[in-house]
Amino acid sequence: MALTVLRGGHIVDPATGQDAIGDVWFEDGRIVERPEGRSADHEIDVSGHIVMAGAIDIHSHIAGGNVNTARLLLPELHRAIRARLADTPLSTAKWSSYETGRLYAQMGFTTVVEPAMAPHHALQTHLEFNDVPIIDKGALTVLGNDDFLLGMLRDGEKDGAINDYVAQTVENTRSLGLKCINPGGVEAFKENMRAFGLDDVVPFYGLTSRQIFQALQKSTQAVGIAHPLHLHMNNLGLAGNIDTALATIDAAQGLPLHLAHVQFYAYGKEGKNGFSSAGALFAEKVNANPNVSVDVGQVMFSDTVTISSDVLKQFNSLPGAIPKKGAIFDGDANGGGIVPYAYKISNYYNAIQWAAGLELFLLIDNPEQVFFTTDHPNGGPFTTYPELFALLMSADLRAQHLARLPADVLEHTTLPSISREYTLYEIAQMSRSGAAKLFGFVDRGRLSPGAVADIAVYKPGRDVAGMFRRAALVFKDGALVVRDGQVSHYTRGKTLHIRPRYDQQITNRLDSYYDDLYGLPRSIFDVPDAALPHKDAFAEVPCRI
Amino acid sequence: METATLDGKAIALGDAYKHAAKILSGAAFPLVAGLGADVAGARAAILLAERLKGAFDHLASRETLADIDVKRSFGMFTTTANEARLRGDCVVLIGPGLTRAWPGMLERLALAEPPRRGAQAQQPRKVIWVGPEGDEANAVPGAKVIPASVQELSGVLAAWRARFGGRPVALGAEKVALIDGLVETLRNARFGVFVWSASTLDPLAIEMMQALVIELNATTRFTGVHIGGRSGASGVTQAAGWMTGFPPRTGFGRGYPEHDPWRFESSRLVDSGEADAALWISAFDGEKPSWSRADIPLITLAPAHTSPSRGLFIKVGQPGVTHDAVLMSQETGGMTLRKASAPTDAPSVAQAIGAIMAEVSEGAWR
Repeated sequence: MALTVLRGGHIVDPATGQDAIGDVWFEDGRIVERPEGRSADHEIDVSGHIVMAGAIDIHSHIAGGNVNTARLLLPELHRAIRARLADTPLSTAKWSSYETGRLYAQMGFTTVVEPAMAPHHALQTHLEFNDVPIIDKGALTVLGNDDFLLGMLRDGEKDGAINDYVAQTVENTRSLGLKCINPGGVEAFKENMRAFGLDDVVPFYGLTSRQIFQALQKSTQAVGIAHPLHLHMNNLGLAGNIDTALATIDAAQGLPLHLAHVQFYAYGKEGKNGFSSAGALFAEKVNANPNVSVDVGQVMFSDTVTISSDVLKQFNSLPGAIPKKGAIFDGDANGGGIVPYAYKISNYYNAIQWAAGLELFLLIDNPEQVFFTTDHPNGGPFTTYPELFALLMSADLRAQHLARLPADVLEHTTLPSISREYTLYEIAQMSRSGAAKLFGFVDRGRLSPGAVADIAVYKPGRDVAGMFRRAALVFKDGALVVRDGQVSHYTRGKTLHIRPRYDQQITNRLDSYYDDLYGLPRSIFDVPDAALPHKDAFAEVPCRI
Repeated sequence: METATLDGKAIALGDAYKHAAKILSGAAFPLVAGLGADVAGARAAILLAERLKGAFDHLASRETLADIDVKRSFGMFTTTANEARLRGDCVVLIGPGLTRAWPGMLERLALAEPPRRGAQAQQPRKVIWVGPEGDEANAVPGAKVIPASVQELSGVLAAWRARFGGRPVALGAEKVALIDGLVETLRNARFGVFVWSASTLDPLAIEMMQALVIELNATTRFTGVHIGGRSGASGVTQAAGWMTGFPPRTGFGRGYPEHDPWRFESSRLVDSGEADAALWISAFDGEKPSWSRADIPLITLAPAHTSPSRGLFIKVGQPGVTHDAVLMSQETGGMTLRKASAPTDAPSVAQAIGAIMAEVSEGAWR
């Protein structure tokens, strides 16, 4: 591929500390040093533009059986309205895998992590990934409500066997690490429990949620998975659940832990509605615990659908569904619940949620400790990220929104008092350098020589959201895929995965377990290369050890 | 056996692909129908329909859409066969022919064995079968059989739901007592499971059953296992879902997908003349189209033994038999790769459509 230089742009690259005018050179899909004695084959003048690495979304539900159920459940949510451009099949088919790739690319995003892949449904997730064009994908495998793990913990098995199981499952499902969703709570729901907190006990296993996530947290470290255990805590969405969140952080043993969509846990019980923002309290706790990272799960006012493997929570949400319908799937371990919802600016509770999310963003000091998700589509679609970035970058814009909220909301959030405005550098820390570190990516989220030439070029203007919504140029692996906010053609991204090491003995043990319990060969759940349409679908990311 | 024929006469495979592309490209609104294929075949077929700005439908869409209609207008509770096997202490089978729709059902659900999880572990499993076919239910020792015709299934479910809610039904005292006993069994289940196939239930009956499930979940756990349609229907529906957002019966006439179960129903499209060419795919067993019009330009992709005497025929392999294939597995509720049991070099649906697609230009897009 030709030697290309982007000339004279404002480079914002926290991984290398750059925040100045400069050039970016790349060749054969990688960033390179300016070569001595050679001139560029292509020289692109990007003066007056911002140049960043391609953005990384660390938590977005873009693929898998639960997402697909949501598509089929809600045809009214995604009627297509315009024809596509040439060479981009199905790119305007709303909420299709193809449109997902196009829309992310247009915003300058080049890597997206689907955070909830059920081990028994991994192949479908990977098939859907295959049909998401342009961007690179990765997934987290869900454990923590599976009988094999809970049985081992109940029986007091040695850490070694648990580590082997974790590593084998991550390798076999071809993911980037582990997610744990309401640990034990989903199993408890099958036993007809309707609420499940950190220290509630899973029937027949005698284990608490605390014990389960701590075990997985330790295993994640022991087998060298770069990404800390990605935890969806208990009691999502309930008034007063800040207590659960604070107790969970205290239970983290000082080990790395990533807490997902924490806005949904930043609730106190103040006020006449018994529902208030505890965003400030939560942020303070995160600031005091550098071992913890969070993504926000910001609520953006829109019609959307909640998709979660926290089946207990989703079942409890059904009566509030808008429109009134939903799907509840008791899976082999976690399963899923799909419940549509509409967040309204005039709704007290929704407005508190919106404010709590922004408090978390603005009161957590380190932008590499807090990530910008909307928990797509749970708090709002990923297409609202540009509006979210604009809100973080402008206190004035937030004030305009605050003026539209129900008046009593302002008494139960600290948001009106916060004047912090994110800089572009901080946006890049959150969406590039920090996100890459969180997954142990050493060659993305940065513009240093050797990194993948995933590059986003933005044209600044008064409309900050517009700037982020339609990148001026996007290069994926060095190929120009977006110009003036439009995808010109598809390229094929990779699915990133890791291969932690383990003792092969666990494989035999798992084979007999499946034979005995299900009467099925465990290989029926495999993700073989031959099942995917293209041979080179995967790219391995090294483990930490 | 020829690999390709035109009106019953052998033609070269390369010519067949070119001819197929010509027929489809020349049509104003071509139809990709049947869609009896694996996931790779469905992907290829949907991408072809999109490029042609035609429509696609599956031969078992009526059944698939009966379930989906309930899901998208009302909601649905489901579980896996594995969970039903391990936990289901009360399994209610609804309708005839379930073992035909799913030959491995009895073994997979282990109905003759007790469940293995929870307080119900090792307790005898209660099995109730409403309206089985012939002596179908004899295979489950101890099953309680409630005779009912297909037409009566909705009424049976409605009566159960009424009595569950304590409402009166216009039936004799003896029947009401029987129903009340059954309803009590459902209420006392710890993890109850309905098993049904939309091939014998209409959407209203499915909704009645799912409404009962919701009401049962107020105090206990209850859910369902649905049996997917024939000819790869479940896998095709999943692929259509992520590719277009919609299940089959979706058209691309405006350059983007529109889903309409009436407008894009294949027999209606052909018989009304709205579709002016058709690609019929039936790779599992060569099932024939159900439309009545014989004059539509037709391309058939099917196994060898089904060569039609009219139109263009291209022999394809059978998914999971002659070639490896990704299919939705009824036993797991997930996708899996089935290795070929008797490999041949017959092209797969995906390969045949790929060869046709190569001859179809992208055309004019805005």
